[in-house]
Amino acid sequence: MKRNKKTTLIIALVLVFIIGLVGCTSAPKQGKDEEIKIAVVGPMTGDSAQYGQSFKRATELMASKVNEAGGVNGSPIKLEIVDDKNDAKEATNVAQKLVSDEKIVGVIGHFSSTASLAAAPIYQRAQLVELSPTSSHPEFTKQGTYMFRNVNTQAIEGPILADFAVNDLKKKKIAVIYVNDDWGITAKDNFIEAAEELGATITAEEAFIGGQTRDFAPTITKIKGTNPDLIFLAAMYSETGMIAQQLEQLNYDVDLLGTSSLNNDQLIKLAGAAVDGLYLTNNYFPGNPDEKVQEFIEDYKEAYGVEPDQFAAVAYDSLGMMIEALKTSGPDRVKLRDSLVDIKDYNGVTGKTTFNENRDVMKDMIIMQIKEGKFTLYR
Amino acid sequence: MLFQQLINGLTLGSTYALTAVGYSMVFGILGLVNFSHGSVYTVGAFLTLIFFTALKFNFFVSFLLSIILTGLLGILIDRISLYPLRKRNAPKVTSLISTIGVSIFLQNLIMITWGSETKKFPLVINRGSINLFGANISTLQIMIFSMCIVLMVSLNIMIQKTRVGKAMRATAQNSKAAMLMGININAIIMITFFMGSSLASVAGTMVGMYYQTIDPYIGYMAGLKAFAAAVLGGIGVLPGAIVGGLSIGVIEAIAAGYLNAGYRDAIAFAVLVLMLIVKPSGLLGKQASKKV
Repeated sequence: MKRNKKTTLIIALVLVFIIGLVGCTSAPKQGKDEEIKIAVVGPMTGDSAQYGQSFKRATELMASKVNEAGGVNGSPIKLEIVDDKNDAKEATNVAQKLVSDEKIVGVIGHFSSTASLAAAPIYQRAQLVELSPTSSHPEFTKQGTYMFRNVNTQAIEGPILADFAVNDLKKKKIAVIYVNDDWGITAKDNFIEAAEELGATITAEEAFIGGQTRDFAPTITKIKGTNPDLIFLAAMYSETGMIAQQLEQLNYDVDLLGTSSLNNDQLIKLAGAAVDGLYLTNNYFPGNPDEKVQEFIEDYKEAYGVEPDQFAAVAYDSLGMMIEALKTSGPDRVKLRDSLVDIKDYNGVTGKTTFNENRDVMKDMIIMQIKEGKFTLYR
Repeated sequence: MLFQQLINGLTLGSTYALTAVGYSMVFGILGLVNFSHGSVYTVGAFLTLIFFTALKFNFFVSFLLSIILTGLLGILIDRISLYPLRKRNAPKVTSLISTIGVSIFLQNLIMITWGSETKKFPLVINRGSINLFGANISTLQIMIFSMCIVLMVSLNIMIQKTRVGKAMRATAQNSKAAMLMGININAIIMITFFMGSSLASVAGTMVGMYYQTIDPYIGYMAGLKAFAAAVLGGIGVLPGAIVGGLSIGVIEAIAAGYLNAGYRDAIAFAVLVLMLIVKPSGLLGKQASKKV
């Protein structure tokens, strides 16, 4: 009797398993009114969660706008917000999960170059578009034909920064502090290469570990000994804030230059007067009088009670572009890629956007400076 | 520059030392490494910040409240996650894993309640600085260092001279024998957790003020370094915690200053490994320990 029970149980389990398999393979076909699923992946938890939140809020805003206007050719957009914790291992797990969900036609994400690079081979194999709003590592879009980005690479931004430092600010001796990850190293290398070409000398190159290093006093003391005219920071805003404050505590007054990733009001909230005078590049500026930009800011503020940062802006445009492409391609992974490539001069809140032959974007950049606790347009 | 780096290292090392004491004391009494200590340090820093900025208490009142509450949290951790295991004579490794669980729980609790973004920590102490031999020493650095020394010396006196201290030493030597002599072991364990956790709160708050920012992850690396400091100095030996803490701080600052800042943690831990190969019981440790 006991044995019988066991056999019955095993048979039952096997049956359930088979039904499960069949259920998976016979996914219902996409009808006209059926929703189109797009995944938005970013760090929703963990020490970069604030960036993931910007992704989530901005894309949800875009999706609800499109849906209110009737969706894409009648089908509503449904977003699937997924957390990759900004971790390369987690990113591959997430990617694996997303490619096996046949209803998902495209992916907006991931946030960091490290996560995007790790997940790229999986999306490529499954022929699923991976459009990263923020991954600026040059290698990212070289991973395959389904990788897109909506941010200038460091290969474009580095020379702009170096040109500004050497030719506009007339700084010849430059020290560099960079975060020791894919993004930081590329940002640093591109900047240094261009700056040295323009005749500047690099007095020091100091690394730190993102999310772990909080004590910059030894680094600053060392840099002070090399006596530079300017410190270039290839860092995110939280560490930039700490560096600026510790510079002040050590009574060391020197000009600072950062990348467009510092464009976040939190930087000023964290570091206050310590970041006054800092220069940075940008392609999204809230003070832009353009109607689209102001409407985006208003809607975002109304929905979430905070001002959108540049991560929100690029995520908003990224989804906008994907939806634009979906209008001609329909919900089909391969067709979506082909129609995304063809997008010309998409007019979003971060300026006019076209992909080049490598599926990278090229956007002009403005230079801003923090003055009296505000981001102001410098040039 | 060397002198400036020494000052930087000693300041950092002081906070390691304050945290290391918590590891060392609990190890001395219970014979296990309490891995939740790093998260307790984070809670301490956050409590001070919340009392000060959200509830608008006076800074010293906030600091004091945080010290007391964090101390109580230490007791709570022992009551919930260690006491039941101790009662059932569970192996030490079980308790150790339990503290890792508590650590992850606390870290996530902080993230859920206060968010994961970096928060500004106000600089309350006047930011003046003095110039000494070409080095720039801020009053805050002096304060952190002297606070560490004063607390460590008084803790040492307490352990060496008072009745409670005597009871603690007895418990550390042999808890069964101490119990038979009429010492209330559970009370001693509570006091140990209270003191270790309060000191972690002091360290967390000091670090928050020093860097003027805190986030839910500050306890992770700080906890690891403090644990390394406790081992380097000789775990279970209180003066060892301060020697170990200051050494790790200075090694890090020198490594970052003369080699590359990217290698600072690697070098600090490499020195620890080398040191332990030469003297397994740590700088001031007496005998090789058989505990977990």
